[in-house]
Amino acid sequence: MTAQIELTNVNKYYGAYHALKDIELSIRKGSFTALVGPSGCGKSTLLRSLAGLESISSGTLRIAGEVMNAVPPRKRDVAMVFQSYALYPHMTVEENLTYSLRIRGVAKTERKKAANEVAAVTGLTHLLGRYPRELSGGQRQRVAMSRAIIRHPKAFLFDEPLSNLDAALRVHMRKEIRALHDRLGATSVYVTHDQVEAMTMADHVVIMRDGVIEQQGSPLELYDQPGNKFVAGFIGSPAMNFLPAVGGQDGRSIILDLGVKQAIVLDREVQPGQALIVGLRPEHIELAAADEGVLSAQVALVESTGATCFLTMATTPELSVVFNGRSEARAGDRVGLNFAPGSIHLFDANTERRLPD
Amino acid sequence: MKRFLSSMIDGRGFDIGLVSLPLAFLLTLSGLPLLYNIVMSFQEVDMFSLGSFWRPFVGLKNYRDLFAQPETWPILANTATFVIASIAGQFLVGFGLALFFWTNFPGASWLRGLFLVSWVMPGLVVGAIWNWILSGDFGVLNFILRESGLIAGNIFWRSDPGFSLWAVIIANIWLGTSFNMILMSVGLSAIPRDLYEASELDGANVWQRFWTITLPMMRSSIGAIIALGLIFTLQQFDLFAAITSGGPNNASNVTQYWAWDLSFRQYDFAKGATISVIMIVFVMVASVVYVRSTRHEVRG
Repeated sequence: MTAQIELTNVNKYYGAYHALKDIELSIRKGSFTALVGPSGCGKSTLLRSLAGLESISSGTLRIAGEVMNAVPPRKRDVAMVFQSYALYPHMTVEENLTYSLRIRGVAKTERKKAANEVAAVTGLTHLLGRYPRELSGGQRQRVAMSRAIIRHPKAFLFDEPLSNLDAALRVHMRKEIRALHDRLGATSVYVTHDQVEAMTMADHVVIMRDGVIEQQGSPLELYDQPGNKFVAGFIGSPAMNFLPAVGGQDGRSIILDLGVKQAIVLDREVQPGQALIVGLRPEHIELAAADEGVLSAQVALVESTGATCFLTMATTPELSVVFNGRSEARAGDRVGLNFAPGSIHLFDANTERRLPD
Repeated sequence: MKRFLSSMIDGRGFDIGLVSLPLAFLLTLSGLPLLYNIVMSFQEVDMFSLGSFWRPFVGLKNYRDLFAQPETWPILANTATFVIASIAGQFLVGFGLALFFWTNFPGASWLRGLFLVSWVMPGLVVGAIWNWILSGDFGVLNFILRESGLIAGNIFWRSDPGFSLWAVIIANIWLGTSFNMILMSVGLSAIPRDLYEASELDGANVWQRFWTITLPMMRSSIGAIIALGLIFTLQQFDLFAAITSGGPNNASNVTQYWAWDLSFRQYDFAKGATISVIMIVFVMVASVVYVRSTRHEVRG
């Protein structure tokens, strides 16, 4: 497992603004890594630094073992798919695809052959003679990807490539990009603000906030073991419930504060009196009869998509519950809520860090 | 009447109303004189028939007479030299400046604005200033050329037949450069930045990016500026009046100045009109090029 891209202690400043803070990241060869986080978290800056479109202020960036800190973008041998696609409007699809080959001085017949090969893979064969303005959003997206593929680069960089597509097409292209990645076996780095994209496509997810890597790992690791409250709230949809609590005097229970105080016995130890945040995923809560649950609450809102049902409870803070199927509950009903003690995530209320299980 | 009023207020009538006003203005003040000029080029016009419209029709006689004159071809050649050299100079310097300011160094937009000063100056004032610069005995241009060792003796820019046309061309390039620069700057700023990033990642160096991205993306702007340049240089009159008056011995005379000279100094209105008609043809061609190049804009 060799590292294709390696960042050690990378910092980036824009004047006084510290955009990337001590980034340590190792991207395995052939992996699909997603950089995810809210806007302004530095994920695009990080990607553009890999490409060389931004320079890093300190630290070391290696691509395929070579230090790339001062190497210009054109010599890094990485390909990028832009959010805007950045297709050359004055060139046909074929000319767009073969631009990099033309720059390298590849003969015309070979360029044509390469374009045909890639177009066959990405389904663009019938569009080779068209101009970008004559293409739909999905087709442009495909041209942008083909333009990257044709080069066989050391790494593919994606900068929110699906955000200009409509929802249905986005789901479709998601699968297509992942399938293409598996077929080509190339190293891919994918920037997105959509955690669902990151979770479904990537095998390594890097969560960033304010220029800092908050946590990285496989999608399920992040889901099961979020390292802090931010990651816990960012991963998963609908978002995790956060409830205030304190450690019980017996050291084996917590006292939840949902307007009324409620003790819950855990299968783990807690410090008595410690201020806590309890994280509870909506999908880990089950409905029960009003007097049978661990908790009891009043239903504020019922939303059903047919397949799944979203319930919002009239508690402070609000509590959401989601399950497959349908519910008899109506707004205003009292229901019981059940959950396994093991599905509870505990965070320190002050540091917001995860408490060891 | 009510229907007419409501169409004026609500519908298409309003658009037609808006369009008809400038159209009427254009027809009266540009269209009619143009037609009158064309008609005049086929008539015999002298001081006595100047006041009437129905003058003797002479067919192509004015055109034949014009081309029989010995100075006609040299003046047409002068015009061609003036137009080509002016456009080439204005475009190259203007585009170069636009590229320079495009690098966006601190104060670039401020400095670019200052360059517009040359464009708002009246041609006669520009001419007067260039008269001093170009002056044979104490002109600063001669001083610079002499001190830098490029020339041995003074060049008499305005009175030497070999230089007088170039004296006006130099002044005209100075006058038109800033307009070229502004139009090119607008064209450059319309090119999306990420195209350059994409081509940079595709391996293109600065030179390749210029030839494969900048120039093709600027094609419509360049077509427009060259067509406009042709129109503007064919209009350039003030500089000739101020610097050389077409002399010496027509060495720097061009059609636009000659037309005025024939009509309003020699009172040969028919010949003046005939030259104007020939110029109209050239300007028409330029206009078509201009309209076509702005219509074929390539954008995203």
